[in-house]
Amino acid sequence: MSMKINTHTKSAELFQRAAKVIPSGLYGHQGPAEGCCIPVSAYPLFSQKAQGTYFWDVDGNKYIDYMCAYGPNVLGYNDPDVDKAVMEQMKIENCVTAPSTKIIEFAELMVDTVASADWAFFAKNGGDTTTAAIMTARAATHRKKIIFVKGYYHGVAPWCQKIDYPGVIPEDVSNNLYVDWNDFEQLERIVAENEGEIAAFISTPYMHGNFVDNVLPAEGYWQKVRKLCTDKGIVLIVDDVRCGFRLDLAGSDHHYGFEADLICFCKALANGWNVSALCGKDWLKSSISGLSYTGSYWMSAVPFAAAIACINKMKEIDLPKFCLEKGTMLCDGLKAAAANNGFHLNVSGEPALFYLMLKDDDSLMLHQEWIAEVVKRGVYMTNHHNHFINASLSDEDIKHTIEVAEDAFKAVRKNHPELG
Amino acid sequence: MIDQRTLAYINLYGVLGTLENLCELAPEAKSILTNKKPISIGFEVKDGPSATITFKNGKCRMEQGCAKCDVKLPFSSCEKFNGLIDGTVTPIPSKGFLHIGFLLKDFTKLTDLLNKYMRPEPADLEDEDFFRISTTLMMYTISVAIAQIGNNDEIGKFSAQQMVDGEIAFSIKDGPAATVRVKNHRLLAIKKPSENPRAVMEFANIRLARDLFDGNVNAIACIGTGDIVMKGMISMLDNLNRILDRVALYLA
Repeated sequence: MSMKINTHTKSAELFQRAAKVIPSGLYGHQGPAEGCCIPVSAYPLFSQKAQGTYFWDVDGNKYIDYMCAYGPNVLGYNDPDVDKAVMEQMKIENCVTAPSTKIIEFAELMVDTVASADWAFFAKNGGDTTTAAIMTARAATHRKKIIFVKGYYHGVAPWCQKIDYPGVIPEDVSNNLYVDWNDFEQLERIVAENEGEIAAFISTPYMHGNFVDNVLPAEGYWQKVRKLCTDKGIVLIVDDVRCGFRLDLAGSDHHYGFEADLICFCKALANGWNVSALCGKDWLKSSISGLSYTGSYWMSAVPFAAAIACINKMKEIDLPKFCLEKGTMLCDGLKAAAANNGFHLNVSGEPALFYLMLKDDDSLMLHQEWIAEVVKRGVYMTNHHNHFINASLSDEDIKHTIEVAEDAFKAVRKNHPELG
Repeated sequence: MIDQRTLAYINLYGVLGTLENLCELAPEAKSILTNKKPISIGFEVKDGPSATITFKNGKCRMEQGCAKCDVKLPFSSCEKFNGLIDGTVTPIPSKGFLHIGFLLKDFTKLTDLLNKYMRPEPADLEDEDFFRISTTLMMYTISVAIAQIGNNDEIGKFSAQQMVDGEIAFSIKDGPAATVRVKNHRLLAIKKPSENPRAVMEFANIRLARDLFDGNVNAIACIGTGDIVMKGMISMLDNLNRILDRVALYLA
């Protein structure tokens, strides 16, 4: 039986309406441009509802969602335990002059959960915490320079953008130094060339950049980096915003066998409720205490209640084990579906955050065609970003995804008789 | 901030280089060159670009360098050459005084005509043929400016450093097309369609392209509406767009 092919008439109409009053229609990573919706007609642009691992678009099409709102959906949309905690807290208080004691409860839970954490500082988005980490490192060391890994993404504040980005001035990034991922010797050299000037080294736990195959840390890499940072008085910051909790509930630094000085969390923290956290070592507590850094909603109690419920449930179900097993099952099935149809699908990164790239042409156009065919058949994936596993994904969903992938590969092959 | 050396490269290869296309597309240019003897004009900019523009059989062709030219115009700096383009500097030939008539009359007529198409009056754009020629010339100039900014401007070079090798097809559907070829982070603009692009940026129609070039519509919104098609190695286009953002600064 042939599969239903989704159309997106209402999405397109609503986008035209949105474009009149919203810059670029939909801005940022959830918009069609930055989200690399190629061609845009293949993609739903607005949702009408979500449940578990699914969402439904405004045209009524149902999707198995492997983007999970770009990470926050870790337990499943509308998780009953998280939502119950939210509803209960809403009846009590949320954004109040004197914050709720939920902040203490949450901080204690973070310190108990995250291996390298002696304290926890809360904000709203991942970028709030990476900025807090950089400011803390500079305050603690009285140094200016920051080392980044090429291909990085640590948010959208000017310090972590690039010199050629609109709205960024050279002075914003003039203290940024760049090294290649996994190249310890290069890092060591740059540190030596800037002796006494480096405030921090910031990196994700593994290279999960866009447009490229993701790369895990080389054997012993993080341990050597840890020692170098300690020896040279450099603050080691792990940006665990994307990976956090999906690899290891004690933090991705724990997963790879080292301890960060500062570690940033956001996406999987509260199953879609708006809160982020920076955790750190005791020796940096005084420095972050001195920062002038806050926000109107940073101490709201409802997201704290959501996060507490989310973390407790992630522990209860052993989320990292679940993500590893389901991610591996899915990735093996996708690779087999590609091979069955004469394609070479490369899967890289951790299975919980798998990254896909079809290797049959170097322009990525074939890859984009395949992903478009997958999306049109009701499985939401993106072209050039890693995907996410969530706890509501069932074996039946995975089986259906692999069937969709097979059908999409067949469609691509049919459209390209020149491939033989 | 504008870098005068980058601007000189854009002015020579991008702006004066568009004379090639003007002579091909604009009937007025053809009539200026009718029954004229072949002549070549060399531009030599100290610490900057050099090129020779040859007019022959009603056609125009630009080549790099000016070892062989009938008239040679030397400029002591990029700023001086840029002054020629904005009309504040009068060039003095170091060679070819006998051909000064072509320089003062015909060449000036051609550059005035180019200016008419490149900086048009709103009323002129109401004529469909004028609109098409003007937008086509603008597209070629922008293509070359992209390459020059990627090769010379400090921030543009940063963008080019992030680009992988391959060709970017830069085109208007059913209209003109150009190619930006990337090799070892150096860019080359070719005023022809790409046969084997690694990335594609195509505007839905010439009206939309014009609005984009004039800054009247937003490219990101146009991707969402499908008026701009992007596919292939998106990281190349992402960096191309960052350079494109600087084109407006130089060609303003």
